Amino acid sequence: MAEIPTSRIDVVDLTLKYGNDTVLDALSLPIPRGKVTVLAGPNGCGKSTLLRAIRRLQTGQTGHILLDGIDIGKLGAKELARQIGLLAQSPNAPPDMSVEELVRLGRYPHQAMMQPWSEKDGAAVLRAMDGTGVTSLRQRHIGSLSGGQLQRAWIAMVLAQETDIICLDEPVNHLDMAHQLDCLDLVAKLNRENGRTIVLVLHDLNLAARYADQLVFVHEGRVRALGRPEELMKPELLAEVFEVDAAIMTDPVHGRPICIPRGRARLAADKELNAVA
Amino acid sequence: MSASLTMTGQRRLNPAVPTLIVAGAFFLLLLGAIGFGTIWMSPETIANVLLGGGEKSERLVILQLRMPRVVAAIISGAAIAFSGYLLQRITRNELASPGVLGVVDGASLGVVLFLAIFSNEANALMVPVSWQPLAAAIGALVAIALVFILSGRQASSTIRLLLFGIAIAAVAKALTTIFILIGPNYQATQAARWLAGAVYAISWSEIQIMLAALIPTVLIAGWLARDLPPADLDDVSSRSVGLNLHVYRIAVFFIAGALTAIAVAFVGAVGFLGLIAPHMARLLVGRARLAGIVTSMMLGAMMLVAADLVVRVAFAPTEVPAGTITAIVGAPYFLFLLMRKDKTNG
Amino acid sequence: MNLTVNINIESIHVASALSVPRPISLSRPSRVQVYVGLALLLALSMLASLTLGYKVYSLDQVFTALFAHDGSETSVVIAGLRLPRALIAPLTGAALGMAGVLVQTLSRNRIASPDTLGLNAGASLAVVVAGIVLGVQSLAGLAMAASLGAFVTAIVVFGIAAGAGGLSPLKIVLVGVTFASLSHAFVEVLLTSNEAMLQQLLFWLSGAFVDRPIGLFYTALPVVLVGGIVAVGLSRALDALQADDATAQGLGVPLGLVRALAFVAVAILTGAAISMAGPVAFVGLVVPHAARRLVGLRHIHQLPAAALFGAVYATLADVAARFVIYPVEAPVGAVTAVVGAITLVVLLRRRAA
Repeated sequence: MAEIPTSRIDVVDLTLKYGNDTVLDALSLPIPRGKVTVLAGPNGCGKSTLLRAIRRLQTGQTGHILLDGIDIGKLGAKELARQIGLLAQSPNAPPDMSVEELVRLGRYPHQAMMQPWSEKDGAAVLRAMDGTGVTSLRQRHIGSLSGGQLQRAWIAMVLAQETDIICLDEPVNHLDMAHQLDCLDLVAKLNRENGRTIVLVLHDLNLAARYADQLVFVHEGRVRALGRPEELMKPELLAEVFEVDAAIMTDPVHGRPICIPRGRARLAADKELNAVA
Repeated sequence: MSASLTMTGQRRLNPAVPTLIVAGAFFLLLLGAIGFGTIWMSPETIANVLLGGGEKSERLVILQLRMPRVVAAIISGAAIAFSGYLLQRITRNELASPGVLGVVDGASLGVVLFLAIFSNEANALMVPVSWQPLAAAIGALVAIALVFILSGRQASSTIRLLLFGIAIAAVAKALTTIFILIGPNYQATQAARWLAGAVYAISWSEIQIMLAALIPTVLIAGWLARDLPPADLDDVSSRSVGLNLHVYRIAVFFIAGALTAIAVAFVGAVGFLGLIAPHMARLLVGRARLAGIVTSMMLGAMMLVAADLVVRVAFAPTEVPAGTITAIVGAPYFLFLLMRKDKTNG
Repeated sequence: MNLTVNINIESIHVASALSVPRPISLSRPSRVQVYVGLALLLALSMLASLTLGYKVYSLDQVFTALFAHDGSETSVVIAGLRLPRALIAPLTGAALGMAGVLVQTLSRNRIASPDTLGLNAGASLAVVVAGIVLGVQSLAGLAMAASLGAFVTAIVVFGIAAGAGGLSPLKIVLVGVTFASLSHAFVEVLLTSNEAMLQQLLFWLSGAFVDRPIGLFYTALPVVLVGGIVAVGLSRALDALQADDATAQGLGVPLGLVRALAFVAVAILTGAAISMAGPVAFVGLVVPHAARRLVGLRHIHQLPAAALFGAVYATLADVAARFVIYPVEAPVGAVTAVVGAITLVVLLRRRAA
């Protein structure tokens, strides 16, 4: 695909500083409609902060974030929550909350204050639980669930929000391999079947390459590269952004690039230092 | 701002210096406390009396009225400060205090039970009243024991310990109220006074009992303090250094509790001193152990003597209990500490 | 199966006994059954409160006294002494129960309660100050003083605990305990300067429903209703607040506003309760746990359940207080303190596992 279709979200010149630290540095990024965008980068590059900013959880930044051309700062909190859903990085809820109670939380943006629970809400909750396969778990306490089940329950909550755009902040970090794939396959399905726009922050580069339509390398608060995984998974780029010396192959099963790290990349500056020492 | 170790290991100030300064202030305060009253006793008069001379009325006032009070305040203040020092070091938490463990409420329950059990129908006490402190000490120790037995393995968590303490304190308070209600009338007044920490009408015989109990306790405490893990070492590292942390910790808590029990047994609820004194000592002398202990004890003694003095000066003739003053000063200081702790993320 | 659960270091959650994996759905009575059951229990408790005590009266004596006003001694006791208690106790329990739910949700800590936050102490102090220092005599005045005291304490406690480092449970408890000590110190000063009131005040300071004029009930009723309505209005936001901040914000919950309003509700509920009965210990700790067990975590149910259960609990405690040291009356606060302390210890120990 040569062109990127119209973007739903546009990040324009976003800058965020904590004291003397510049976390986001005049960062600009389009989030294409109906595609899976994955933000990847080394620790501290600002990818999580960027995601939070997109969802308007950060304050103190300059620049603009546009949703369908409108600055998100102009939207009300609930209105924004009806457009963009977020699965936070380490979401937490009381262990004795039931799955159904958790999923119901997702309906909050759709309810006015004293408006009673409607059929529409109930249907959305059921659909969300169905779509993530947790209906059979609805009465269980979330503290009794396995990691994979718990994550699906959280995704169900986000689904119940019925947003077109879903952001997930490192959703698979703590899961074992099978559940990582479960979770990401689910996300991919949501994208395929409903055309939802997905923004994912992933730590694992190979997973990122496997699931992304648009892959974004974030480095030191800026977008270093963006495009299809095949375009970004190149040894020089990996060495620069991730400081990793890797060989790139094409995954025979999925046809996506994978990287096989050889070791740390010796950047030019490092090489000189080592020569002297 | 605190005189802590610098990166190169040099102390900012030799701890002996602030210690001596504090000692000097202590001495001056003593003179003031003994001297002040309805009749001002000058330092010469005091020296005279102590050396065996002076007029009869002077001897009476100084030796029978003022000194016992001041000495009791010194002993209690020092004991509770030492207790606080131990607790803060062993929990590695500068907010730990002997006051919060329900000790004080246990002691008051002991007192009230003592009064209830040993009073006859004419509302008179059947045993000498000098046994009362013993009842208080027992009550305090039972409370401490309960807190630690119940918290078991959770004793290492400050918040858990606090909450167990709150529970025990609540039960003790409830039982105290009940016994006050069903007990003889004079109990209510006496108990309430005692609860707030009154430092009066102490006799030399009671002080003798205090010292008899306190001296061995302090010695044991001092011996245990030698093994206090360096403040910066966490549990795992301390264990690897060879310390049987669990047993040691229980011993320290017990001794700290005993020190507190003895202190409050005679002067009532002066919990906050055990928090403030070691804290201020650390600000003055840094992490040095011996200087820290000695300074804590001196500061604790000074604060209680000062509080008692304030009561005599400002509130005469009403005997506002000294514990109140320490709480009124101590609580805001503590809250200030909490806020500061945040900002430096201590 | 790999069992991983996300644990946020900042908040401590109770692992309830029900968190053992169960493949079948929980057998919990339906909500309707719970509400009806509690309402019945409340009616029975109130009847017990009217009939039982130093003297035990029969049911038709009670009805005669309430509706016939024949001026007999029975009538005086029942209408004048027992009726106020039978009304004040449940209202206090309901107020404290709801306040407890709010506090536990706000602080994400199942062991918090208005007492451990020092609210009880602050409100008591305000009442004692108003009564002794300012000479306030009117019921409405004392009630307002109590609410104001609770409110100010709540602001200070949350303000200090929130500080720069966030609402850590440890800090909240420490600040609350300190506040309680400070407040007790002031109360002691005032008491020792006014010995005549000592024994009376001691009793009141433990929390008591006895000897309270019925006017207090009527003054506090609208306040409790307002507090309850505010709380229920916040139900959905409070549900979301049980999750972490990022999730709640992501759902569009205005965190600051919700917290502030919930706060106000806590203050007026606690203040109203204290103006009626003094600081009744631990009701706000125990009741929310029972409510959650009965109806789940959604606040639209937790709050009414807590109100009903609190009402029953307080009324039964009041009846018990008449008999623990018969023939003398114990302050109901002593009873709730013992029950609450035992509950607290059990909760703490269970978490260890």
